Amino acid sequence: METLKQKALDYTLGILPKDESLLFEAMLEENDEARHSLTEAQEDCARIGLSAQPKSLGKEVKQRILENCQPSLNFDPFLESKPIQNLRTTFSRTTDRYNGGGGCVTLRNINDARLQDEINRLYNDLINLSPLVAGDSDAAAGDMASLHSMLKGIPSFSQSIDSLLTNPISKDKEGDGAQSVYRSLLSSMPSLSFFSDRLNGKSYSMGDVRRLFYLCRDQLKIMRASFDDIDPNRLVEDEKLRLHSAGLLQTKWWGAEHAYFSAQGKVRCGHFFDGPVTERCVEFAEYDANMYCLANLLSPRSSNGEFHMELIKDAVPNCILAIARAETTKGRHDELDQIVNGIKSKSTSLQNDHILWELIEESMLRAHQHSTLSELKNASLFGCHRLENSSYLWFAWPAIENSQGGAVA
Amino acid sequence: MLKIENDIWEKIRDGDSLAFEQLYDGFAGAMFSLSLEILGDRWEAEEVIQDIFAVLWRKPEAYSPKKGKFSSWLLVLTRNRSIDRYRSRKRRLDRGETDEILQSRPDQANKDGAEKATASDEREHLNRAFSNLPPEQRKIIELSYFKGMNQQEIAEKLNLSLGTVKSRTRLGIEKLRNSLSTLRL
Repeated sequence: METLKQKALDYTLGILPKDESLLFEAMLEENDEARHSLTEAQEDCARIGLSAQPKSLGKEVKQRILENCQPSLNFDPFLESKPIQNLRTTFSRTTDRYNGGGGCVTLRNINDARLQDEINRLYNDLINLSPLVAGDSDAAAGDMASLHSMLKGIPSFSQSIDSLLTNPISKDKEGDGAQSVYRSLLSSMPSLSFFSDRLNGKSYSMGDVRRLFYLCRDQLKIMRASFDDIDPNRLVEDEKLRLHSAGLLQTKWWGAEHAYFSAQGKVRCGHFFDGPVTERCVEFAEYDANMYCLANLLSPRSSNGEFHMELIKDAVPNCILAIARAETTKGRHDELDQIVNGIKSKSTSLQNDHILWELIEESMLRAHQHSTLSELKNASLFGCHRLENSSYLWFAWPAIENSQGGAVA
Repeated sequence: MLKIENDIWEKIRDGDSLAFEQLYDGFAGAMFSLSLEILGDRWEAEEVIQDIFAVLWRKPEAYSPKKGKFSSWLLVLTRNRSIDRYRSRKRRLDRGETDEILQSRPDQANKDGAEKATASDEREHLNRAFSNLPPEQRKIIELSYFKGMNQQEIAEKLNLSLGTVKSRTRLGIEKLRNSLSTLRL
């Protein structure tokens, strides 16, 4: 009997060896004493759990959790649409899967010295900011003094971006470096600057601290994946083989508030899928940047301030589809369509939006190892589509071969 | 605060969103406090709670009444998922074993006024029982419960025989059970 109790306790604590756990589970089916011992062990352990010091959850956590009860988003009409049907027939896996790092340049080779300095400064400010918004920081516990002091002591991120984007970064002058600079300034950075400004003001919530933490983490990875000399030691870690699950993206985007400069939007996530999306941090950074680009393009054009994100695996074999959807007016959709098709108007207001889509295009060329944009477009590997009153922006990413189950970062 | 009606899981299984909200209101705080104590990271603890509630809503059959009381199962699941994350983080950072989390495990006698006000009599009763355990038993239960160490690891860390670790664990838990037999989960 004592042995049985010990086994039940070890099983409850997750320290019973796997083979013994299986035997114990089998025993539970037919042995009343085993079941009784398990119930007793669970209650003992639950009581110990209640000795934890009480801490309260923020309102926004409840909001996020109750979103589970909302009806599932239905992407079936989109998955049956012509572009996706076309993709199903044309997609073929490449022999060597792309796993990131292809969009990287050397920062010191950027010709514009001011740009070099500012990118370096932004990176270092973010390295200093990150621990101040981490889950074990004072700010996460409600004490904002250190965070406020830091944010007041550095130039605001939004002013820095504005200043750096005042003049277009010339592709002729900077080559591939232009793309790396834009990826660093236009993907997660606008949202990051929005939340850091908000936290530096008077009206903010704990959810903003959490959001800024995720944004800092993403932005730092995106910058390292864009400039190989900005932080070589950490880049070595980012380049190691380490599967990143769809759950990481879901956790971050689920119920989040998003901002692209002054345009704010609320994200609703689909249920994604269980399993890995990318193989290394540098690949995840590139994927992540593409997701931010989709959000940045769609969020300001949403009719109701809401947009939806979904990751779907196996709707197209060997592919993971990243989809962003929002209700839009016909005029706003046409604007998106022109951006996606590279039709530039005389207006400079859409200049950054064109760059966002070009960042996705460049990334897709690398991921699918195509040499020309027209090949990519013919294969329906990414695009913009309208169904009823919604716009869909999407891109397809090569799935990891034989990837089963969950994965960890 | 911590009492969950027996039929709440059945209601959730049947898609009752109000029951889901009631469960959150009544129990998420205790789950979060436990997870935060283990992980020491608010965002990670929130993720644990978020994931568990998502599983409960989408796959309520993950629990079965055969697995014991719903409330106990929830707390054990919270503890085990938090420990998994803690171990995973430890592996990632590849850092040596330290007592940081345990050292930071708060002294229940030194809580500030606001926290005292929110603590229930039951919880105080529980904390008293935990504090009253002989230190050698309390230490082993803490290492096992809040740091996820197995008995062999604890034996090595504390330089004790495996048999001593097992008997101290059992004795400690029995003492807690006797002290807390009136506490309903």
